[in-house]
Amino acid sequence: MAEWVFFALYGRHFASLDNSFDLLRHSAEIGLLAMAMTAVILTGGIDLSVGSLLGLCAVVLGMLWRDAHVPLGLAVVITLAGGALAGAMNAWLITWLRLPPLIVTLAGFSLFRGIAEALTRGVDTFTGFPAGFLFLGQERWLGAPAQLPVLVAVAAAAWWFVHGTAGGRSLRVIGYSPEGARYAGIPVERRLALVYIASGLTAALAAVLYTARLGQARADAGTGYELLAITAVVLGGTSIFGGAGSVPGTLLGVAAIAVLNNGLVHLRQPREVAGLCTGALLILALAGAAGWKKLAGRRRRWQLDAQPNRSIP
Amino acid sequence: MSRYAREWSVAGALAAGLVFLALFAPSFFQPQPLLSLAARTAPVLVVTCAMSLVLIGRQIDISAGSLFSVCSVVAGLLAARHCPVVVIVPATLLVGAVMGALNGVLVAGLGLPAIVVTLATMVTWREGLRWEREGLWVDLPERFQWFGLPQAAGQGGLILVALGLLFLLAMGLRHSAGGRFVYAVGSDAEAARLAGIPPRRVGFLLFVMAGALTGLAALLNTVQSPQVDPNCGNGLEMKAIAAAVVGGVAISGGRGSLWGALAGLLLLACVGPALTHLHAQPYWEKATQGAVILMAVVADGWRARSSGRGRGRA
Repeated sequence: MAEWVFFALYGRHFASLDNSFDLLRHSAEIGLLAMAMTAVILTGGIDLSVGSLLGLCAVVLGMLWRDAHVPLGLAVVITLAGGALAGAMNAWLITWLRLPPLIVTLAGFSLFRGIAEALTRGVDTFTGFPAGFLFLGQERWLGAPAQLPVLVAVAAAAWWFVHGTAGGRSLRVIGYSPEGARYAGIPVERRLALVYIASGLTAALAAVLYTARLGQARADAGTGYELLAITAVVLGGTSIFGGAGSVPGTLLGVAAIAVLNNGLVHLRQPREVAGLCTGALLILALAGAAGWKKLAGRRRRWQLDAQPNRSIP
Repeated sequence: MSRYAREWSVAGALAAGLVFLALFAPSFFQPQPLLSLAARTAPVLVVTCAMSLVLIGRQIDISAGSLFSVCSVVAGLLAARHCPVVVIVPATLLVGAVMGALNGVLVAGLGLPAIVVTLATMVTWREGLRWEREGLWVDLPERFQWFGLPQAAGQGGLILVALGLLFLLAMGLRHSAGGRFVYAVGSDAEAARLAGIPPRRVGFLLFVMAGALTGLAALLNTVQSPQVDPNCGNGLEMKAIAAAVVGGVAISGGRGSLWGALAGLLLLACVGPALTHLHAQPYWEKATQGAVILMAVVADGWRARSSGRGRGRA
């Protein structure tokens, strides 16, 4: 079903699919967020704070670079650690205090953005990053946008982890039934903590890419990115309730969103239409998935009713 | 009084805060600015009531802000075309109810999680409105402001309407069968269903009601200024959720009261102007809001953990 969505969009916008590397750059950040979001949603949770955390990390990076005069490499490392720390805070609240991920990350959504805005007093923007850093965001490397290797590396790692390792496969079990997973001996709290920390870490990494792409760090960086990440994950066939889904599906979802945005840009539609379409797309994807499940359930019941009662003793 | 323990502690914190302000920032208590603050908070109170109802029913609605903006613009456009007030009021309520019904159909009808559905509708309404308005504000005719009453009377009237609505809803929630249904569905939807209460219909009606109430709130807000800003609802849902959660409404449903939400709202509404009067930076308001939600929820979680209860999933 995910492939169907992708090709439907691909076909419609095929004519406008020229070498729009700029959109690939934008998609790299969404892709990073979506990778971690896939793991989070697989466990039946959600992380609404990634967009705001991206903004906060961008601001922190800018402050370290411009105000504290920290060497850029070290600043990046500190920012990544900060993102992981924020993710760890979410993780602690969710696993230790057993709070619903919804409200914890919703508070984070507000809190992180608020801190970012407060730190920049609402208007500050950090610029003046060195050319070497901006290379990551704006130049090409071996003919493709420089962000691409980062995205590929993270996507490969996510793919390997979620599908290849026992730990990753346990995520789906946790999403399907947390209590069942616990009885099966799976360290549920540890796995949950891992996915939320990873979510924070990728948000920080995406913040680095974002800053490199735009050449500036602002408090409103990443606004709305959590919606895009969730949409990509749902489009890619992952169930919003957890327990089923795949990383390659999410990658297709990211691609589908990129294609949609690309098409809209070529049709010279303003930015708001892209947001409108993303929201509508998410609704359609969710409704489609729910409707599909209902139809499948109904069809199976018809089939069972049509057969003679052989299987019932 | 232990049933309302949480509400009383919030009221206590509010009282303590007011005493603090009286001592250190007495300029806060001037009548005219205070009246204006109360009038500005009245629409937020109505939205908080709507949000509390939704939360008690174990749902969530983060599209309330965008819904508010759309209804404000609709009311403004109708007023600019000189529609009579008797038409504007039901029309705005209807628009709100229809948008709420969309949420209701997706959540209650299709069983989709409320957070994601309302996230999607929030963005859709907001971007659609921005696209259509292109950032333009709507100018309102003179007669529409304060429903044609003088300002102080208009402000007082708005506050009375909001408080009256709160009273009606709170009474209905506690004493009517429908109110009991909301608590039942919020505590355990399956048990409610087995008891004969239709959880999906209750959920649907909650969203429709929230939409209509938010539309009313938009109307109460529109009459306060000569123009309508299409971004007026931004962040409103967070304020409402924060107020409700601080006031004791549980995110996992089934607990809380509208009076608690009122106390929570008053506490939070004083933070912004208090910061100004204490000459602190206003940029910390959003961060404070997030921190307050977090603290309230952590306190709840800590108490639940130490009393041995399991976690509630949203």
